Amino acid sequence: MRYIEEFRDPQLGRALACEIAALAEPGRSYKLMEVCGGHTHAIYRYGIHELLPDAVELVHGPGCPVCVLPMGRVDDGIAIARNAEVILTCFGDMMRVPGSEGSLLEAKAEGADVRVVYSPLDALAIARSHPDRDVVFFAIGFETTAPSTALTLRRAREQGVSNFFCMCNHVTIAPPLRALLDSPDLSLDGFVGPGHVATVVGARPFLFIPDQHRKPFVISGFEPLDVLQSIRMLLAQIGEGRCEVENEYGRVVAWEGNQRARELMDEVFQVRGEFEWRGLGVIPDSALALSDDYADHDAERRYEVPGRRVADPLACQCGEVLRGAIKPWQCRVFGTACTPERPIGTCMVSPEGACAAYYAYGRHASVGEALQEAGR
Amino acid sequence: MTGQEACIVCAGTLTRMTVLALDAAAGLAECADERGAASTVDVALLGEVAPGEVLLVHAGAALAREDGAEAQGAGAPGR
Repeated sequence: MRYIEEFRDPQLGRALACEIAALAEPGRSYKLMEVCGGHTHAIYRYGIHELLPDAVELVHGPGCPVCVLPMGRVDDGIAIARNAEVILTCFGDMMRVPGSEGSLLEAKAEGADVRVVYSPLDALAIARSHPDRDVVFFAIGFETTAPSTALTLRRAREQGVSNFFCMCNHVTIAPPLRALLDSPDLSLDGFVGPGHVATVVGARPFLFIPDQHRKPFVISGFEPLDVLQSIRMLLAQIGEGRCEVENEYGRVVAWEGNQRARELMDEVFQVRGEFEWRGLGVIPDSALALSDDYADHDAERRYEVPGRRVADPLACQCGEVLRGAIKPWQCRVFGTACTPERPIGTCMVSPEGACAAYYAYGRHASVGEALQEAGR
Repeated sequence: MTGQEACIVCAGTLTRMTVLALDAAAGLAECADERGAASTVDVALLGEVAPGEVLLVHAGAALAREDGAEAQGAGAPGR
C-alpha cells in the first residue's frame, strides 16, 4: 500500500525527531500551529507531540469545519429539516453537533426526515428518486469539500433537478488565519499548513503569512512523517532566518492548486460579507453562499430560518481551544461532563476536533508507541 | 490518512481510488478504494482520466491525480 507504510516508518520518524531537536536553538521555544483538524488527529493518533523536544509546542488551529460551525447554523438546518416536504441530507459528522435546542439526530428522532450521505452526489440521487420532495444538502467544509458541492449543484442545474437545494456552510481557511495573526493574545512562530485545502487553492492564498506577518508556513501532508518533516522545515526556516511558504506535500499539492476547481467555485459560490465562527466570532469574507446564478437551488432563499446568533454553553471552552489559547485537557469539562458520547462542544464531536482526538489517543499514548504500532 | 476513521468533511481526508470504468460524457467514473469498495466519483475537475489511474477523492469528487502535482510543479515558481 503505497504512501502509507513509507510515511509511517518509525525509524525515520525518530530520525526526524532527532533532526528537529538538533535544529531547536537552546534557550528558545517554538510555538507552531497545525491549521487542519486532520493534522491534529494525526498528531494525537501517532503520538507525534511526544516525539518533539519540550521547546516545540503544537497549537491546534481552527481547521475543523464541524468544530467552527456556530450553534445558530445548526438551528437553521433543523428549522429547514422540520418542513414536512423536506429531506435534509448531511455528512454523518454533522448529526450530533449540538444546536441550541438539540442536534439533527434528535430532530430525526422527533420525526424530521434527516439522512446521512457520503457525498453531495448521493443527495442528488435522493432528489432524483423523490421528485415530490425537496432534498436539501447541508453543505459544510473548507475549500477541499466545496468543489464537490459545486459540481453537484452544476449537475443538478444541467439535469433540471429542481427539487435539489443546498444550505451552504462552506468556509475558507485564509480569513481565520488572518484573524488569528491579528489577534494580540496569540504569538506563533509558524504554521503547519492544510495540505488538502491547498490541493484546491494552491499555495498562493497563504503567501500573506510570510509576506505580511513574517511567519513561515509549510503545506503538509497527513501521515506522521509528513507532519514531522513539516515541523523540521519550519525550524530550518526559522534557524536560517528565512520566512516563506514551502510545500512539503509535493506528491499531492501543485503550487497553483486545481484551477478547474477554483473556477467552478467562482461560478457557483459568492463570498459572504461575514460569517460567524465558533470561538472566533464574526470574520469578514470567510464563508461562501450560493451565487445569484444558483439562487433557485439555495435553501436559505427558499426557506425561512431563524438566523439567530447563539452563545455557546457557559461550561464549554471550545472557543479557547479553537484559538489555541488552551489545550483540550485544560477545558473545565473535558472528559467529565463533555465526552465523545455526550459532547457539549463541537471540538468533542468530530473525530478531528482537538478534544475528541486527544480524548481518543492523547490520554493513552506514550513515546513512539503509536508510530511503532503503525509500522508493524 | 485513509479516511475511514476520520471526519469526512475535514480537509484531512483524500481517499486513493483506482478508476475502474469511465462515463466520459457524464464526467463520472466508477472507482474502487484500497479495500475494494466501489463508488461513483465525479471526475470533471481533472479533465481526461483513464481506467487504472489512481485519483485522490474527497466527498465524491476527484481533486487530484496521484503524483500529478509533481508534474504540474509543486514548488514555488523559480525555485
